[in-house]
Amino acid sequence: MQSIAERAVLWSIMLSGLAFVLVRVGLENDLLELAPLALLALAALVALAMIAQMRRLNIFNNRLRGHALGWIIAAGVAYLLSLANEKTVQAAMPAIKSYRKLWKTLDGFADFLVPMFLLFAVVLLIVGTRDTKLDRPGRIERALVSKLPAKIAAIPMAFTAIGVFVIATLWTVYHSFTRSKLLPKSDFEGVFQYERLWSTDRWWISLENLAIYGACSMVFSLVIGFTLATLLDQKIRGEAVFRTILLYPFALSFIVTGLVWQWILTPEFGVQNIVRSLGFENFVFDPLYNSDIVIYGVLIAGLWQGTGFIMVLMLAGLRGIDQDIWKASRVDGIPTWKTYIYIIIPMMRPVFITTLVIIASGIVKVYDLVVAQTSGGPGLSSEVPAKYVYDYMFGGQNLGQGFAASTVMLALVLIPLIPFAYLEFGNRKNG
Amino acid sequence: MHSVEIKNLDLAFGATKVLQDLNLTIARGEFLVLLGSSGCGKSTLLNCIAGLLEVSEGQIFINGDNVTWAEPSERGIGMVFQSYALYPQMTVEGNLSFGLRNSGMAKSEIASRVARAAEILQIEPLLKRKPAALSGGQRQRVAIGRALVRDVDVFLFDEPLSNLDAKLRADLRVEIKRLHQQLENTMIYVTHDQIEAMTLADRIAIMKGGQIMQLGTPDEIYSQPRNLYVADFIGSPSMNFIPGTMSGGTASIHGISIPMGSTVRDGAVTVGIRPEHIATGDLAPIAPVQAEATVELVEPMGADTLILTSIGGTRAHVRMDGLAKVVPGDVIPIGLDPARVSLFDPKTEIRL
Amino acid sequence: MADVAFSGPHGPKPRRILNPRNIMLYGTLIVVTMYYLVPLYVMVVTSLKGMPEIRMGNIFSPPLEVTFEPWVKAWSEACTGLNCDGLSRGFWNSVTITIPSVLVSIAIASINGYALANWRFKGANVFFTILIFGAFIPYQVMIYPIVIMLREMGLYTKLSGLVIVHSIFGMPILTLLFRNYFTSLPEELFKAARVDGAGFWGIYFRIMLPMSLPIFVVAIILQVTGIWNDFLFGVIYTKPDLYPMTVQLNNIVNSVQGVKEYNVNMAATLLTGLVPLFIYFVSGKLFVRGVAAGAVKG
Repeated sequence: MQSIAERAVLWSIMLSGLAFVLVRVGLENDLLELAPLALLALAALVALAMIAQMRRLNIFNNRLRGHALGWIIAAGVAYLLSLANEKTVQAAMPAIKSYRKLWKTLDGFADFLVPMFLLFAVVLLIVGTRDTKLDRPGRIERALVSKLPAKIAAIPMAFTAIGVFVIATLWTVYHSFTRSKLLPKSDFEGVFQYERLWSTDRWWISLENLAIYGACSMVFSLVIGFTLATLLDQKIRGEAVFRTILLYPFALSFIVTGLVWQWILTPEFGVQNIVRSLGFENFVFDPLYNSDIVIYGVLIAGLWQGTGFIMVLMLAGLRGIDQDIWKASRVDGIPTWKTYIYIIIPMMRPVFITTLVIIASGIVKVYDLVVAQTSGGPGLSSEVPAKYVYDYMFGGQNLGQGFAASTVMLALVLIPLIPFAYLEFGNRKNG
Repeated sequence: MHSVEIKNLDLAFGATKVLQDLNLTIARGEFLVLLGSSGCGKSTLLNCIAGLLEVSEGQIFINGDNVTWAEPSERGIGMVFQSYALYPQMTVEGNLSFGLRNSGMAKSEIASRVARAAEILQIEPLLKRKPAALSGGQRQRVAIGRALVRDVDVFLFDEPLSNLDAKLRADLRVEIKRLHQQLENTMIYVTHDQIEAMTLADRIAIMKGGQIMQLGTPDEIYSQPRNLYVADFIGSPSMNFIPGTMSGGTASIHGISIPMGSTVRDGAVTVGIRPEHIATGDLAPIAPVQAEATVELVEPMGADTLILTSIGGTRAHVRMDGLAKVVPGDVIPIGLDPARVSLFDPKTEIRL
Repeated sequence: MADVAFSGPHGPKPRRILNPRNIMLYGTLIVVTMYYLVPLYVMVVTSLKGMPEIRMGNIFSPPLEVTFEPWVKAWSEACTGLNCDGLSRGFWNSVTITIPSVLVSIAIASINGYALANWRFKGANVFFTILIFGAFIPYQVMIYPIVIMLREMGLYTKLSGLVIVHSIFGMPILTLLFRNYFTSLPEELFKAARVDGAGFWGIYFRIMLPMSLPIFVVAIILQVTGIWNDFLFGVIYTKPDLYPMTVQLNNIVNSVQGVKEYNVNMAATLLTGLVPLFIYFVSGKLFVRGVAAGAVKG
């Protein structure tokens, strides 16, 4: 009975907080706007019911008094925060005034937090009174008291995880079903944006480019990265020098990478010009000016930047393999190449999978490189989805298209990621 | 003909000398244990014999062939590793047969060898399983099986039991001994565990700093340690060392005279007595030399009781019967037998 | 033992240095290394030539006449739109963006990692899982809601807004890095400190911080290069006079107006790459450890 009441209080407080945040970030809905207050009221009612159940109310002599006091102080701080939004206070302290908008935003949260913290304090006092003779901490005590500093320290993490990653994603997905133009609108309009998206040539070109770039860069990164790692794993002299040189492009930004390769691949001065000056007058190599192969020009730059990193991951994987395996295969008389193919590569499966996930998640995000190297040209022939999203959101004043395109990008990531995560967690439970 | 012969072996990594001018001959069918604490070069020596490390100087012969430059697979050896080194994605059968298939052996021959090895090691029910589905002891059997199918004369074991818990270790130790009796081939076995060494070995080589301190049967190593290091390394608790003087064939420590015979020079000596060679209780009066000791600490261990005593001011361990009733502060009679006392030169640390 | 006479093979197996295996191995590695070095070489060479020389010839040929004018021009004269004060503005913008972003993101992530590794409160793993999952969500999905959030708070196009954005998107990898590091420290240390009466912050500042200098260095390297190289957030969440160096570089090189000055462009590109390259070559193994640790998730 007690446990059910405590659960009801905690859940209604948590749900009211979530509903409040959802309302604040712009999911306007009549039901949702009522929910926070209704749930808080429910929690207060349950708390009152708990008081009623008790014979006497001995608030000032129990073990949770200090913590209740803490929550009252927290409520006070939240109240002070809301004061910063008052005009009279701002007039008195000009330093505060320059962040007017920030205070205005926080004011809404503070107005909500003050009653919530006060409710925490009351509930703690009730529970403490009820449980004075019990040694076992109850649900509320565990939720509101134990490891409290750690929970407070984790607020930025909770904010990022829920407030940004979850809510921002949901917000975008929801608004991809609206007719948002210059400003986001929240009226649900169905799949209108998606119909437009899939009938746009530019989007199809973007997807096709992503597919080519993605497939090639996965295959080549893995093959080149692994080959280089095995070469470096042969106990060679100057390994550190080779590794340093192979990895340095990874320290450079995609912008720098794109611009350098734009220059090297310029037909008038770059590779084409040099081969022609060697006597091959008709040699043509102008990937950045040929819309059929421009994406391979981007691929060359991308591989140059990223394969060193894949090589490092693979090398770490190779070094992680028990040296006795190598000894055993030498005693068995197995040639080195056979050992790699039949023993080492199968043993490195987890490393390969991890690397593949890293490459894949990087591919979908590819944006800077294209912007710097080709700006999507010639024409639209090197467009990618990330650029489509950016151009429609910030250039084309057509937010809805941007939201729809980014939602498709999200789906592209989730489709391979979810089975991977499932496998990872499944394996962990077995191990 | 010797089974394995090592001549003037040197191994250096850059400036650090790991093995120095090492000579060793191992007879056919012998079980040799390389024993020492970590970093003494015992595993390094084994890897040199296997051909997994290239020597800096010297020669290695196996079955009379000079194999100094030969590949590990050409040397006629099989090797078992501490971490088992099983190929994780292959079944037990695959692990046993991979090397043979690779050398182009006929399928029927492979099958019969795998079957024989599996029978000897009693791992037939496990043949279709993968290493991950085996226990530590089973994995080590498979690792031994991989050496067995190669049908070679020399087996090399690199601390094969160190990753197992105490009970399994004792079981598998017996298994290896039985295997040696059955197969009668040469085994070279590296360990840091002196009990494994004493129970398994025909001969033990105690190593330190890349050199062999003493090579001998377990009994020789135990009763006649050639120097202080060996005396201290073997035995648990280790030998008591008491400073004394020698004159006219009699060693004296804190007023106790031990007649040793006349062959030993006069002067300062270190007298070494094993805790289990100090007689107590009823046996003390019938020993050739009698003395007294003061009990300082009592450690009952069930079968025995270990007591820390003071013999004329020097601390010494004494092993007593488990039923003995002593308390700290007691003065008890003890007896010594000169035949079981070792004498060392305090400066050179060599047995006199 | 030179005085011992051996018959037959003895000592190390004789090997020719130029055996086929070594020729293949080192040959391949040297060719690959050349390919990786070419762009850096081209950047340096081009940036030291005058425009007439570039128009005449070969991008690979070394400069006949070394000139540092392109460097000076790239640093202090190159134009983006109406501003003609060169990359120096972008450089100082990047510095003012990078320093607070690195400090704030690492401070938050190290405390998160510590709370996750040592205090394991209920629900922490839910947040952590979402956080790691979030690292895979394309930024494009989240950028617009964050624009709204920052605008509501009056921080959009301000430095502090960009610092918040970098802290948010740096959090998954950094938190993972710190969590794994703190988990690898002996737990007895934490228990002993608790028995000695130290609280959450006491243990963090007096026990954990002093022990985690290496991981802080790794995190700093990771963040400095990451934030310095950022383009997307810089272009979205700041305004032109606060643009970081990468954005400004792209605007200089890819501007449509005027004659293309390739030598100035390459000097500007090289200047932008110098900071991360410097960090990379100085930090060496720590950089490798950082990128590897940051990448191998879970």
